[in-house]
Amino acid sequence: MTAGATSAAPPAEATRQDLRAWPALRLAWLHIVSRRVPVALATIAACAAALRGAFYGHWDSYGALQLPLIFEVGAASVIAITAASPFGEAERATGRWLPYLRLGTTLALTAAAIGALAAAGTGGHLAGGTVEVLRNVAGLTGLGLLCAFMLGAGLAWTGPTAYLLAGTYALYTDWHPPTLSTPWIWPARPPLDRGAAICAALVFTAGLALITIRGARDSGRD
Amino acid sequence: MTAPPAPAVPRPPHHAVRAKVVPGRLLRLELRRNTMLWMLPVAILLFWYNGYREIMAVPPMWNLRAMTLQNRLLLDFAIPVVGAAAWMASREGRRGVADLLGITARPRWARQLTGWAATTCWALLGYLCCVAVVYVLTARQASWGGPLWWPAVVGAVAVPLLSAVGFAAGTLFPSRFTVPLVTVAAFFGLAFGTQAASGDHSYWQISPLTSGAVDIGADPGVATFYHYLPDLSIAQVMFAAGLTAAVLGLLGLPAGSGGRWLRRSAAVITVAGLAAAGTAVALAGTGRLDPHGMIVIPALHDAANDQPIRYTPVCSHTAIPVCVNPAYTAYLPAVTAVLRPVLTELAGLPGAPRQVTQAAQAYAQGPGNSINLIFHGLAARDGSVVFSLPDPLPGDQGQTSAGFDSRLKTTGLQIVAGVIGSQSRAAGSPAVAGPAQQAVISALTRLTAPQLAFRNGSAEQLGPYGRLLPAPGSPAAAAATRFAALPAAAQHAWLVQHLPALRAGRISLAQLP
Repeated sequence: MTAGATSAAPPAEATRQDLRAWPALRLAWLHIVSRRVPVALATIAACAAALRGAFYGHWDSYGALQLPLIFEVGAASVIAITAASPFGEAERATGRWLPYLRLGTTLALTAAAIGALAAAGTGGHLAGGTVEVLRNVAGLTGLGLLCAFMLGAGLAWTGPTAYLLAGTYALYTDWHPPTLSTPWIWPARPPLDRGAAICAALVFTAGLALITIRGARDSGRD
Repeated sequence: MTAPPAPAVPRPPHHAVRAKVVPGRLLRLELRRNTMLWMLPVAILLFWYNGYREIMAVPPMWNLRAMTLQNRLLLDFAIPVVGAAAWMASREGRRGVADLLGITARPRWARQLTGWAATTCWALLGYLCCVAVVYVLTARQASWGGPLWWPAVVGAVAVPLLSAVGFAAGTLFPSRFTVPLVTVAAFFGLAFGTQAASGDHSYWQISPLTSGAVDIGADPGVATFYHYLPDLSIAQVMFAAGLTAAVLGLLGLPAGSGGRWLRRSAAVITVAGLAAAGTAVALAGTGRLDPHGMIVIPALHDAANDQPIRYTPVCSHTAIPVCVNPAYTAYLPAVTAVLRPVLTELAGLPGAPRQVTQAAQAYAQGPGNSINLIFHGLAARDGSVVFSLPDPLPGDQGQTSAGFDSRLKTTGLQIVAGVIGSQSRAAGSPAVAGPAQQAVISALTRLTAPQLAFRNGSAEQLGPYGRLLPAPGSPAAAAATRFAALPAAAQHAWLVQHLPALRAGRISLAQLP
């Protein structure tokens, strides 16, 4: 009777039971759900689809260069927002595995965003190619994570979106001198520019380290 | 013994007092708690980075500064305003207090409008501060003219629209992910929407970022000699205001937004707003480029604006005065420095102009977004010649002083050729020159064909003026070197005596001194 009831349980219930059998897996799944990672993944996929759709439009030289940056910012902002914890202090006090979970979630989402955007650009005229997507998404995500650390995850979007304007303007100055050539505005640098790659990597590393160790800032008010 | 009771002071009904006080208090609360206040430094920083530096780098002319401001300032404010509005609107949903607030005395729509109004107030304050800084500095630097208000008004009306779009998105989809997505989407729509505009009949020029005709935009020749036409600006204001009303009205439509009358009012506002925005788009589609570089919309056009602006030209103290529009006063020294040598040589010669006067160039719409600049060379008018200053001016679109000067030398070449060369058979065509004339023109202008070709970038761009100069290594070039070696007084004396014969082509190279 009992065995029969178990075998007839719906798939979701079966999954839950499977997860209970693997505590580490269950912990990871609960963390993912609490960070709204499924929604974030869906949003990243939407950004990639929108980028793909944008390739069918007719853009001038500025547009073709600036277009990928817009969708990269969208994906990076979403990743940074997933740093928000619904539990705050209580979770920090009890969660021994929390830093690893934060690290894994952020890295996985960043990799997913890079992969999705690069895949969206396959066969299209993706300015800068996959290398530029890798650099830009990593740098922008780092910026968002830094904002999440300093302002709270809810306001993590402020950094990448403000940087969007800086990046598009820097790309614009490629035609209208004086050109902004600082590597800190990496979207305007060529894909294989070492300085820009180092700056983006530094920002990503700093953001990732702070979020992994300390997590996003808990803010009682928005 | 008690004092007689004081006469009763009539008090307004309690509900009337509340009706006046509560919205004001609510607005004050929203203003104090608004995220846009904290986003203002971000907005101003973005404006400084993206807009201000570029605006202040363009020449201090009201038309250039105001039209660039319309394009830049709104784009710089788009991200902070949309983001802050969406963040404020999604607040109730994020905090899970929507049901709790649903039982308060004020209708939900009124509450939402107050939140939107507070966000918009802070955004407008920041916007107006930026406009004020640019206009005050321009007023101190510009040599002539006054502020153009329409570009600033378009932006000021578009800020509430940005705020309304963000607020509506945050209200309808109250999620953390909504804020960055709607911000990026709004930026994309605003910045890339103008790319769809093609030609002067495009509906897309309704975008509040479009200041003037597409592919002319802020140009020194626009709104300098003729009034700034507000036709497109009026349509843009109508569009932005209508769309704002429609979006805000939309928030009042769902059940629970308020009572029946409130929801009906919201429906009416939505329909009216959509009608206004749709009409504005249709009007923008009827636009055409006028010869002065601005968009005329027949239904909104005031013929009085077609009259040229009256001004007293500013003239140089050269042998032949060079007169420019007072808006270009800052460039008169550069023009004078380049043209002075040739004007000194030409002064007093038969056929020499009495004055060299700047005139407006005309614009014509080409296929797609191409614009044809029309200026029929140097035209003679009442003993003076009119010319057009090179475009762009130094500091604008990367133009350097050296580049500006080199293009001015082409103007000097045209002036000299008009006096020394022979009249072209085709009316309106540049003068033609024989070998002796080429030698004299080259000597007076200190120009040779290769120099001119080099400065203009390529030999193809030399155009009809290449025929006015001797070919390198030719006998005419040698004669030019010989003539140029003479003292200026000797050159002038020879020209006074022989100019009619030279113009008639009766002087050979050997006869040149």
